[in-house]
Amino acid sequence: MEKLGLYLGCNIPFKAPDIEQSFRKIFPALGVEIEDLEGATCCPAWGTAPSFDLDTWCTISSRNITLAEDKGIDIMTGCNSCYGVMNEAKHFIEDSPDRKKRVNANLKTIDREYKGTSNVFHVSHVLYEKVGPEKIKESLVYSLDGLKVAIQPGCHILWPSDVYPVQEKNSFFPTILKELTQALGADVPHYSRLEFCCGMGGMRSTDVEKSLKLFTDKLMSMKEEIDPDMIVTTCSSCFLQFDMSQQILKERGVIDFSIPVFYYTQVLALALGFDPAQVAAISQTPRDEMIAEIQSDKRKIQK
Amino acid sequence: MSEYIKLDSEKISEAVKTIQDFGGTGILKCVQCGACSAVCPGVKAGFPVLCRLLIKKVLNGQLEEIIEETSTWGCQACNRCTEICPQGVRPQEVVFAFRRYQANDLAFSTSAMTSQMNLHSYGHAVFTDATELRKKVGLPPEAPTSAYNEKAQKEIQTLLENSPMGELGLY
Ligand code: SF4
Ligand code: SF4
Repeated sequence: MEKLGLYLGCNIPFKAPDIEQSFRKIFPALGVEIEDLEGATCCPAWGTAPSFDLDTWCTISSRNITLAEDKGIDIMTGCNSCYGVMNEAKHFIEDSPDRKKRVNANLKTIDREYKGTSNVFHVSHVLYEKVGPEKIKESLVYSLDGLKVAIQPGCHILWPSDVYPVQEKNSFFPTILKELTQALGADVPHYSRLEFCCGMGGMRSTDVEKSLKLFTDKLMSMKEEIDPDMIVTTCSSCFLQFDMSQQILKERGVIDFSIPVFYYTQVLALALGFDPAQVAAISQTPRDEMIAEIQSDKRKIQK
Repeated sequence: MSEYIKLDSEKISEAVKTIQDFGGTGILKCVQCGACSAVCPGVKAGFPVLCRLLIKKVLNGQLEEIIEETSTWGCQACNRCTEICPQGVRPQEVVFAFRRYQANDLAFSTSAMTSQMNLHSYGHAVFTDATELRKKVGLPPEAPTSAYNEKAQKEIQTLLENSPMGELGLY
Protein backbone atom coordinates (compact mmCIF):
# COMPACT_ATOMS: atom_id res chain seq x y z
CA MET A 1 0.00 0.00 0.00
CA GLU A 2 1.37 3.38 -1.00
CA LYS A 3 1.88 5.73 1.97
CA LEU A 4 1.57 9.53 1.77
CA GLY A 5 1.85 12.36 4.31
CA LEU A 6 -1.47 14.20 4.60
CA TYR A 7 -0.83 17.94 4.65
CA LEU A 8 -4.02 19.71 5.76
CA GLY A 9 -3.22 23.42 5.41
CA CYS A 10 -5.59 25.88 7.15
CA ASN A 11 -8.99 26.00 5.39
CA ILE A 12 -9.67 22.28 5.46
CA PRO A 13 -9.08 21.42 9.16
CA PHE A 14 -10.69 24.62 10.52
CA LYS A 15 -13.38 25.61 8.03
CA ALA A 16 -14.25 22.46 6.12
CA PRO A 17 -13.29 19.45 8.27
CA ASP A 18 -15.86 17.37 6.38
CA ILE A 19 -13.42 17.57 3.44
CA GLU A 20 -10.65 16.30 5.76
CA GLN A 21 -12.94 13.48 6.86
CA SER A 22 -13.63 12.56 3.22
CA PHE A 23 -9.84 12.17 2.65
CA ARG A 24 -9.56 9.96 5.72
CA LYS A 25 -12.37 7.73 4.46
CA ILE A 26 -11.65 7.38 0.75
CA PHE A 27 -7.88 6.95 0.58
CA PRO A 28 -7.58 3.80 2.72
CA ALA A 29 -10.63 2.41 0.87
CA LEU A 30 -8.77 2.95 -2.42
CA GLY A 31 -5.49 1.48 -1.21
CA VAL A 32 -3.58 4.61 -0.22
CA GLU A 33 -2.36 4.83 3.37
CA ILE A 34 -2.28 8.35 4.81
CA GLU A 35 -0.12 9.47 7.66
CA ASP A 36 -0.55 12.79 9.48
CA LEU A 37 2.28 15.30 9.30
CA GLU A 38 2.09 16.28 12.97
CA GLY A 39 3.00 19.89 13.66
CA ALA A 40 2.62 21.10 10.07
CA THR A 41 2.00 24.84 9.74
CA CYS A 42 0.48 27.06 7.07
CA CYS A 43 2.15 26.55 3.68
CA PRO A 44 2.68 29.75 4.24
CA ALA A 45 -0.21 31.46 2.42
CA TRP A 46 0.60 33.95 -0.35
CA GLY A 47 -0.47 36.95 1.75
CA THR A 48 1.96 36.09 4.55
CA ALA A 49 5.68 35.26 4.21
CA PRO A 50 5.74 35.10 0.37
CA SER A 51 4.61 38.75 0.34
CA PHE A 52 7.37 39.82 2.72
CA ASP A 53 10.53 37.81 2.27
CA LEU A 54 11.51 35.10 -0.19
CA ASP A 55 13.94 33.23 2.09
CA THR A 56 11.47 33.24 5.02
CA TRP A 57 8.80 31.82 2.72
CA CYS A 58 11.17 29.09 1.54
CA THR A 59 12.19 28.32 5.14
CA ILE A 60 8.62 27.91 6.41
CA SER A 61 7.57 25.84 3.39
CA SER A 62 10.62 23.63 3.63
CA ARG A 63 10.05 23.09 7.35
CA ASN A 64 6.74 21.48 6.37
CA ILE A 65 8.49 19.41 3.73
CA THR A 66 11.05 18.16 6.29
CA LEU A 67 8.17 16.62 8.29
CA ALA A 68 7.54 14.27 5.35
CA GLU A 69 11.24 13.78 4.66
CA ASP A 70 11.69 12.59 8.26
CA LYS A 71 9.16 9.84 7.53
CA GLY A 72 10.61 9.08 4.09
CA ILE A 73 7.30 9.76 2.32
CA ASP A 74 5.82 12.23 -0.19
CA ILE A 75 3.27 14.90 0.69
CA MET A 76 -0.35 15.05 -0.39
CA THR A 77 -2.22 18.34 -0.05
CA GLY A 78 -5.92 19.05 -0.56
CA CYS A 79 -5.51 22.78 -1.06
CA ASN A 80 -4.39 24.16 -4.42
CA SER A 81 -2.66 27.14 -2.80
CA CYS A 82 -0.64 24.93 -0.47
CA TYR A 83 0.29 22.78 -3.47
CA GLY A 84 1.42 25.85 -5.42
CA VAL A 85 3.22 27.57 -2.55
CA MET A 86 5.21 24.51 -1.48
CA ASN A 87 6.15 23.45 -5.02
CA GLU A 88 7.22 26.97 -5.89
CA ALA A 89 9.25 27.20 -2.69
CA LYS A 90 10.97 23.96 -3.74
CA HIS A 91 11.66 25.53 -7.14
CA PHE A 92 13.21 28.64 -5.56
CA ILE A 93 15.35 26.51 -3.22
CA GLU A 94 16.50 24.00 -5.84
CA ASP A 95 17.22 26.80 -8.31
CA SER A 96 19.80 28.50 -6.14
CA PRO A 97 22.47 26.68 -4.12
CA ASP A 98 22.99 29.89 -2.14
CA ARG A 99 19.35 30.08 -1.17
CA LYS A 100 19.40 26.41 -0.18
CA LYS A 101 22.34 27.16 2.12
CA ARG A 102 20.55 30.14 3.69
CA VAL A 103 17.32 28.18 4.13
CA ASN A 104 19.17 25.33 5.79
CA ALA A 105 21.03 27.78 8.06
CA ASN A 106 17.60 29.07 9.17
CA LEU A 107 16.28 25.55 9.65
CA LYS A 108 19.35 24.63 11.69
CA THR A 109 18.15 26.99 14.43
CA ILE A 110 15.25 24.57 14.98
CA ASP A 111 17.33 21.43 14.33
CA ARG A 112 15.93 20.68 10.92
CA GLU A 113 17.41 20.17 7.48
CA TYR A 114 15.76 20.35 4.07
CA LYS A 115 17.06 17.63 1.75
CA GLY A 116 14.65 17.85 -1.18
CA THR A 117 13.74 14.16 -1.11
CA SER A 118 9.94 14.47 -0.75
CA ASN A 119 7.60 15.46 -3.57
CA VAL A 120 4.48 17.53 -3.04
CA PHE A 121 1.38 16.12 -4.79
CA HIS A 122 -2.23 17.25 -4.83
CA VAL A 123 -5.10 14.98 -3.82
CA SER A 124 -6.37 15.00 -7.40
CA HIS A 125 -2.98 13.84 -8.70
CA VAL A 126 -2.90 10.97 -6.24
CA LEU A 127 -6.39 9.93 -7.32
CA TYR A 128 -5.54 10.26 -11.00
CA GLU A 129 -2.03 8.84 -11.14
CA LYS A 130 -1.73 6.47 -8.19
CA VAL A 131 -5.30 5.21 -7.87
CA GLY A 132 -6.58 5.83 -11.40
CA PRO A 133 -10.08 6.43 -12.84
CA GLU A 134 -10.54 2.70 -13.53
CA LYS A 135 -10.10 1.67 -9.92
CA ILE A 136 -12.40 4.50 -8.81
CA LYS A 137 -15.05 3.26 -11.25
CA GLU A 138 -14.77 -0.32 -9.98
CA SER A 139 -15.09 0.75 -6.33
CA LEU A 140 -18.33 2.74 -6.68
CA VAL A 141 -21.42 1.82 -4.70
CA TYR A 142 -23.56 4.57 -6.25
CA SER A 143 -23.37 5.95 -9.79
CA LEU A 144 -23.71 9.59 -10.81
CA ASP A 145 -25.03 8.46 -14.17
CA GLY A 146 -27.03 11.19 -15.90
CA LEU A 147 -26.00 13.96 -13.50
CA LYS A 148 -24.39 17.01 -15.05
CA VAL A 149 -21.32 18.43 -13.35
CA ALA A 150 -19.51 21.74 -13.85
CA ILE A 151 -15.90 21.26 -12.79
CA GLN A 152 -13.60 23.88 -11.27
CA PRO A 153 -9.96 22.75 -11.24
CA GLY A 154 -8.62 26.02 -9.75
CA CYS A 155 -5.45 27.94 -10.62
CA HIS A 156 -2.65 26.69 -8.42
CA ILE A 157 -2.52 23.10 -9.62
CA LEU A 158 -2.10 24.30 -13.21
CA TRP A 159 0.39 27.15 -13.33
CA PRO A 160 3.34 27.55 -13.50
CA SER A 161 3.43 24.04 -14.95
CA ASP A 162 7.23 23.92 -15.13
CA VAL A 163 7.62 23.63 -11.34
CA TYR A 164 5.00 20.95 -10.73
CA PRO A 165 5.57 17.20 -10.41
CA VAL A 166 2.28 16.43 -12.25
CA GLN A 167 1.22 18.35 -15.34
CA GLU A 168 -1.82 18.52 -17.57
CA LYS A 169 -1.24 17.92 -21.30
CA ASN A 170 -2.50 21.47 -21.88
CA SER A 171 -2.86 23.50 -18.71
CA PHE A 172 -5.34 25.87 -20.36
CA PHE A 173 -7.61 22.88 -21.15
CA PRO A 174 -7.17 20.74 -18.04
CA THR A 175 -8.65 17.21 -18.12
CA ILE A 176 -7.60 15.47 -14.87
CA LEU A 177 -10.64 16.57 -12.83
CA LYS A 178 -12.87 15.96 -15.83
CA GLU A 179 -11.74 12.35 -16.12
CA LEU A 180 -12.00 11.80 -12.36
CA THR A 181 -15.57 13.12 -12.40
CA GLN A 182 -16.50 11.07 -15.46
CA ALA A 183 -15.24 8.01 -13.56
CA LEU A 184 -18.16 8.58 -11.16
CA GLY A 185 -20.52 8.20 -14.10
CA ALA A 186 -21.35 11.90 -14.43
CA ASP A 187 -21.56 14.02 -17.58
CA VAL A 188 -18.92 16.75 -17.59
CA PRO A 189 -19.62 19.13 -20.47
CA HIS A 190 -17.14 21.83 -21.38
CA TYR A 191 -17.96 25.48 -20.66
CA SER A 192 -16.03 28.42 -22.02
CA ARG A 193 -14.65 29.76 -18.73
CA LEU A 194 -13.50 26.37 -17.44
CA GLU A 195 -10.01 27.50 -16.45
CA PHE A 196 -11.03 31.00 -15.29
CA CYS A 197 -10.26 32.27 -11.80
CA CYS A 198 -13.13 32.21 -9.24
CA GLY A 199 -11.94 35.40 -7.53
CA MET A 200 -11.03 33.88 -4.14
CA GLY A 201 -7.64 34.50 -2.55
CA GLY A 202 -5.77 37.78 -2.38
CA MET A 203 -8.35 39.41 -4.60
CA ARG A 204 -11.19 38.63 -2.20
CA SER A 205 -9.36 40.04 0.83
CA THR A 206 -8.25 43.14 -1.13
CA ASP A 207 -11.55 44.03 -2.84
CA VAL A 208 -14.56 41.82 -2.29
CA GLU A 209 -16.64 43.56 -4.99
CA LYS A 210 -14.02 42.90 -7.68
CA SER A 211 -13.79 39.31 -6.49
CA LEU A 212 -17.57 38.89 -6.70
CA LYS A 213 -17.60 40.38 -10.20
CA LEU A 214 -15.16 37.74 -11.40
CA PHE A 215 -17.06 35.04 -9.54
CA THR A 216 -20.37 36.08 -11.14
CA ASP A 217 -18.83 35.84 -14.63
CA LYS A 218 -17.63 32.34 -13.90
CA LEU A 219 -20.87 31.15 -12.28
CA MET A 220 -23.04 32.57 -15.08
CA SER A 221 -20.85 30.90 -17.67
CA MET A 222 -21.52 27.55 -15.96
CA LYS A 223 -25.24 28.21 -15.55
CA GLU A 224 -25.98 29.58 -19.00
CA GLU A 225 -23.81 27.23 -21.00
CA ILE A 226 -24.36 23.88 -19.28
CA ASP A 227 -26.91 24.38 -16.44
CA PRO A 228 -25.18 21.88 -14.13
CA ASP A 229 -26.77 19.81 -11.33
CA MET A 230 -23.73 20.51 -9.18
CA ILE A 231 -20.27 22.08 -9.13
CA VAL A 232 -17.27 19.93 -8.26
CA THR A 233 -13.83 21.29 -7.42
CA THR A 234 -10.51 20.03 -6.10
CA CYS A 235 -9.53 23.38 -4.55
CA SER A 236 -10.63 24.17 -1.00
CA SER A 237 -10.47 27.93 -1.67
CA CYS A 238 -12.64 27.64 -4.78
CA PHE A 239 -15.01 25.45 -2.74
CA LEU A 240 -15.42 28.19 -0.12
CA GLN A 241 -15.90 30.88 -2.77
CA PHE A 242 -18.60 28.94 -4.66
CA ASP A 243 -20.30 27.96 -1.42
CA MET A 244 -20.28 31.38 0.30
CA SER A 245 -20.60 33.75 -2.64
CA GLN A 246 -23.63 32.13 -4.27
CA GLN A 247 -25.49 33.01 -1.06
CA ILE A 248 -24.33 36.64 -1.24
CA LEU A 249 -25.43 36.96 -4.87
CA LYS A 250 -28.77 35.39 -4.01
CA GLU A 251 -29.38 37.80 -1.13
CA ARG A 252 -28.54 40.71 -3.42
CA GLY A 253 -30.97 39.44 -6.02
CA VAL A 254 -28.22 39.00 -8.64
CA ILE A 255 -29.10 35.32 -9.12
CA ASP A 256 -32.31 33.37 -8.54
CA PHE A 257 -30.80 29.88 -8.51
CA SER A 258 -28.32 27.99 -6.41
CA ILE A 259 -26.09 25.12 -7.48
CA PRO A 260 -24.84 22.60 -4.88
CA VAL A 261 -21.04 22.60 -4.49
CA PHE A 262 -18.80 19.71 -3.51
CA TYR A 263 -15.11 19.12 -3.10
CA TYR A 264 -14.32 16.15 -5.38
CA THR A 265 -13.47 13.72 -2.58
CA GLN A 266 -16.83 14.49 -0.97
CA VAL A 267 -18.83 13.31 -3.99
CA LEU A 268 -16.46 10.37 -4.31
CA ALA A 269 -17.00 9.49 -0.63
CA LEU A 270 -20.77 9.70 -1.13
CA ALA A 271 -20.52 7.49 -4.21
CA LEU A 272 -18.49 5.00 -2.15
CA GLY A 273 -21.34 4.92 0.37
CA PHE A 274 -19.82 6.88 3.26
CA ASP A 275 -21.99 8.76 5.77
CA PRO A 276 -22.90 12.28 4.54
CA ALA A 277 -23.02 13.47 8.18
CA GLN A 278 -19.25 12.91 8.21
CA VAL A 279 -18.04 13.55 4.68
CA ALA A 280 -20.39 16.29 3.41
CA ALA A 281 -21.96 17.98 6.43
CA ILE A 282 -20.94 21.65 6.17
CA SER A 283 -22.12 24.07 3.51
CA GLN A 284 -23.98 27.33 3.13
CA THR A 285 -25.37 26.52 -0.30
CA PRO A 286 -27.93 23.76 0.25
CA ARG A 287 -26.88 20.33 -1.00
CA ASP A 288 -28.97 17.84 1.01
CA GLU A 289 -31.23 17.06 -1.93
CA MET A 290 -28.27 16.28 -4.15
CA ILE A 291 -26.72 14.10 -1.43
CA ALA A 292 -29.99 12.17 -1.12
CA GLU A 293 -30.11 11.85 -4.91
CA ILE A 294 -26.56 10.49 -5.09
CA GLN A 295 -27.17 7.92 -2.37
CA SER A 296 -30.66 6.91 -3.60
CA ASP A 297 -31.53 3.26 -4.11
CA LYS A 298 -32.04 3.72 -7.82
CA ARG A 299 -28.38 4.74 -8.17
CA LYS A 300 -27.05 1.69 -6.37
CA ILE A 301 -24.75 -0.29 -8.61
CA GLN A 302 -25.72 -3.95 -8.91
CA LYS A 303 -22.55 -6.01 -8.55
CA MET B 1 -4.23 64.81 -20.75
CA SER B 2 -1.46 62.33 -21.29
CA GLU B 3 1.07 61.70 -18.61
CA TYR B 4 4.66 62.70 -19.36
CA ILE B 5 7.38 60.72 -17.67
CA LYS B 6 10.87 62.03 -17.41
CA LEU B 7 13.15 59.05 -17.70
CA ASP B 8 16.17 59.11 -15.44
CA SER B 9 18.67 56.33 -16.07
CA GLU B 10 19.92 56.25 -12.49
CA LYS B 11 16.41 55.92 -11.16
CA ILE B 12 15.71 53.17 -13.68
CA SER B 13 18.72 51.06 -12.72
CA GLU B 14 17.91 51.52 -9.05
CA ALA B 15 14.29 50.44 -9.58
CA VAL B 16 15.28 47.40 -11.64
CA LYS B 17 17.88 46.35 -9.08
CA THR B 18 15.40 46.73 -6.21
CA ILE B 19 12.87 44.49 -7.93
CA GLN B 20 15.50 41.94 -8.94
CA ASP B 21 16.83 41.81 -5.38
CA PHE B 22 13.32 41.11 -4.11
CA GLY B 23 12.95 38.15 -6.52
CA GLY B 24 11.80 39.58 -9.87
CA THR B 25 14.96 38.46 -11.63
CA GLY B 26 13.50 38.17 -15.16
CA ILE B 27 12.19 41.72 -15.47
CA LEU B 28 14.72 42.91 -18.08
CA LYS B 29 13.60 40.21 -20.52
CA CYS B 30 10.17 41.85 -20.93
CA VAL B 31 9.30 43.10 -24.44
CA GLN B 32 5.95 44.62 -23.34
CA CYS B 33 3.90 42.32 -25.58
CA GLY B 34 0.99 42.27 -23.12
CA ALA B 35 0.29 38.52 -23.32
CA CYS B 36 0.43 38.32 -19.52
CA SER B 37 -2.12 41.07 -18.95
CA ALA B 38 -4.48 39.46 -21.44
CA VAL B 39 -4.84 36.33 -19.27
CA CYS B 40 -4.57 38.02 -15.86
CA PRO B 41 -7.71 37.70 -13.68
CA GLY B 42 -6.49 40.65 -11.59
CA VAL B 43 -6.43 42.93 -14.64
CA LYS B 44 -9.82 41.54 -15.72
CA ALA B 45 -11.32 42.34 -12.33
CA GLY B 46 -10.00 45.91 -12.47
CA PHE B 47 -6.60 45.92 -10.75
CA PRO B 48 -4.68 47.56 -13.61
CA VAL B 49 -1.09 47.75 -12.34
CA LEU B 50 -0.13 44.09 -12.70
CA CYS B 51 1.90 42.18 -15.28
CA ARG B 52 2.83 44.36 -18.28
CA LEU B 53 1.89 47.74 -16.78
CA LEU B 54 3.62 47.09 -13.46
CA ILE B 55 6.75 46.00 -15.33
CA LYS B 56 6.57 49.10 -17.53
CA LYS B 57 6.37 51.40 -14.54
CA VAL B 58 9.35 49.72 -12.91
CA LEU B 59 11.30 49.87 -16.18
CA ASN B 60 10.50 53.59 -16.30
CA GLY B 61 11.97 53.98 -12.82
CA GLN B 62 8.60 54.91 -11.29
CA LEU B 63 9.01 52.75 -8.19
CA GLU B 64 8.26 55.43 -5.62
CA GLU B 65 5.26 56.74 -7.54
CA ILE B 66 3.46 53.42 -7.27
CA ILE B 67 4.42 52.36 -3.78
CA GLU B 68 0.83 52.79 -2.51
CA GLU B 69 -0.66 50.97 -5.52
CA THR B 70 -3.10 48.27 -4.34
CA SER B 71 -3.22 46.23 -7.56
CA THR B 72 -0.39 43.95 -6.45
CA TRP B 73 -2.41 42.88 -3.39
CA GLY B 74 -5.22 41.79 -5.71
CA CYS B 75 -2.83 39.41 -7.50
CA GLN B 76 -4.01 35.82 -7.16
CA ALA B 77 -0.51 34.38 -7.58
CA CYS B 78 -2.19 32.19 -10.19
CA ASN B 79 0.79 32.31 -12.55
CA ARG B 80 -1.22 32.39 -15.75
CA CYS B 81 1.14 35.24 -16.67
CA THR B 82 4.21 33.11 -16.00
CA GLU B 83 2.83 30.26 -18.10
CA ILE B 84 2.01 32.44 -21.10
CA CYS B 85 4.98 34.84 -21.19
CA PRO B 86 7.01 34.14 -24.35
CA GLN B 87 10.11 35.75 -22.86
CA GLY B 88 10.46 33.81 -19.61
CA VAL B 89 10.01 36.93 -17.49
CA ARG B 90 7.91 35.11 -14.86
CA PRO B 91 5.76 38.23 -14.27
CA GLN B 92 4.17 36.81 -11.09
CA GLU B 93 7.63 36.83 -9.55
CA VAL B 94 7.95 40.51 -10.48
CA VAL B 95 4.54 41.25 -8.94
CA PHE B 96 5.54 39.51 -5.71
CA ALA B 97 8.93 41.22 -5.72
CA PHE B 98 7.06 44.52 -5.92
CA ARG B 99 4.79 43.41 -3.07
CA ARG B 100 7.88 42.69 -0.97
CA TYR B 101 9.23 46.13 -1.80
CA GLN B 102 5.90 47.62 -0.69
CA ALA B 103 5.66 45.44 2.42
CA ASN B 104 9.16 46.37 3.50
CA ASP B 105 8.03 49.98 3.38
CA LEU B 106 4.92 48.91 5.32
CA ALA B 107 2.77 49.88 2.34
CA PHE B 108 0.28 47.08 2.80
CA SER B 109 -3.28 46.97 3.99
CA THR B 110 -3.80 46.60 7.75
CA SER B 111 -6.20 43.76 6.95
CA ALA B 112 -3.10 41.71 6.15
CA MET B 113 -1.98 41.99 9.79
CA THR B 114 -4.38 39.42 11.26
CA SER B 115 -2.99 36.63 9.10
CA GLN B 116 0.60 37.52 10.09
CA MET B 117 -0.36 37.46 13.79
CA ASN B 118 -2.19 34.14 13.36
CA LEU B 119 0.79 32.66 11.55
CA HIS B 120 3.02 33.65 14.44
CA SER B 121 0.67 32.46 17.23
CA TYR B 122 -0.73 29.25 15.77
CA GLY B 123 1.38 28.56 12.70
CA HIS B 124 -1.75 29.15 10.60
CA ALA B 125 -2.68 32.26 8.59
CA VAL B 126 -6.32 31.20 8.93
CA PHE B 127 -7.28 29.90 12.32
CA THR B 128 -10.64 29.55 14.03
CA ASP B 129 -11.66 27.31 16.88
CA ALA B 130 -13.20 24.45 14.93
CA THR B 131 -13.50 22.02 17.85
CA GLU B 132 -17.28 21.65 17.60
CA LEU B 133 -17.30 21.48 13.81
CA ARG B 134 -14.65 18.76 13.85
CA LYS B 135 -16.49 16.72 16.49
CA LYS B 136 -19.68 17.03 14.46
CA VAL B 137 -18.09 15.29 11.48
CA GLY B 138 -16.50 12.60 13.62
CA LEU B 139 -12.93 13.92 13.75
CA PRO B 140 -10.73 14.44 16.83
CA PRO B 141 -11.40 17.98 18.12
CA GLU B 142 -7.76 18.98 17.69
CA ALA B 143 -6.26 18.89 14.21
CA PRO B 144 -2.78 17.29 14.14
CA THR B 145 -1.17 20.59 13.10
CA SER B 146 0.87 23.32 14.78
CA ALA B 147 -2.38 24.84 16.12
CA TYR B 148 -2.30 22.28 18.97
CA ASN B 149 1.41 21.52 19.07
CA GLU B 150 3.61 23.67 21.30
CA LYS B 151 6.90 22.44 19.87
CA ALA B 152 5.78 23.33 16.35
CA GLN B 153 4.60 26.77 17.49
CA LYS B 154 7.94 27.42 19.13
CA GLU B 155 9.68 26.42 15.89
CA ILE B 156 7.67 28.75 13.69
CA GLN B 157 8.04 31.60 16.17
CA THR B 158 11.82 31.14 16.19
CA LEU B 159 11.90 31.18 12.39
CA LEU B 160 9.68 34.26 12.08
CA GLU B 161 11.27 36.29 14.85
CA ASN B 162 14.76 35.76 13.43
CA SER B 163 13.65 36.66 9.90
CA PRO B 164 13.39 40.04 8.17
CA MET B 165 9.65 39.79 8.91
CA GLY B 166 10.53 39.95 12.60
CA GLU B 167 12.54 43.12 11.98
CA LEU B 168 9.48 44.78 10.44
CA GLY B 169 7.87 44.68 13.87
CA LEU B 170 4.97 42.55 12.70
CA TYR B 171 4.88 40.52 15.93
S1 SF4 C 1 4.09 38.38 -21.47
FE1 SF4 C 1 6.21 38.56 -20.78
S2 SF4 C 1 7.24 39.79 -22.36
FE2 SF4 C 1 5.02 40.04 -22.67
S3 SF4 C 1 4.51 41.90 -21.49
FE3 SF4 C 1 4.18 40.16 -20.14
S4 SF4 C 1 6.10 39.93 -19.02
FE4 SF4 C 1 6.53 41.22 -20.79
S1 SF4 D 1 -0.24 35.73 -10.98
FE1 SF4 D 1 -1.13 37.72 -10.53
S2 SF4 D 1 -0.34 39.01 -12.12
FE2 SF4 D 1 -0.07 36.93 -12.85
S3 SF4 D 1 -1.90 36.42 -14.02
FE3 SF4 D 1 -2.28 35.77 -11.93
S4 SF4 D 1 -3.32 37.51 -10.95
FE4 SF4 D 1 -2.33 38.27 -12.83
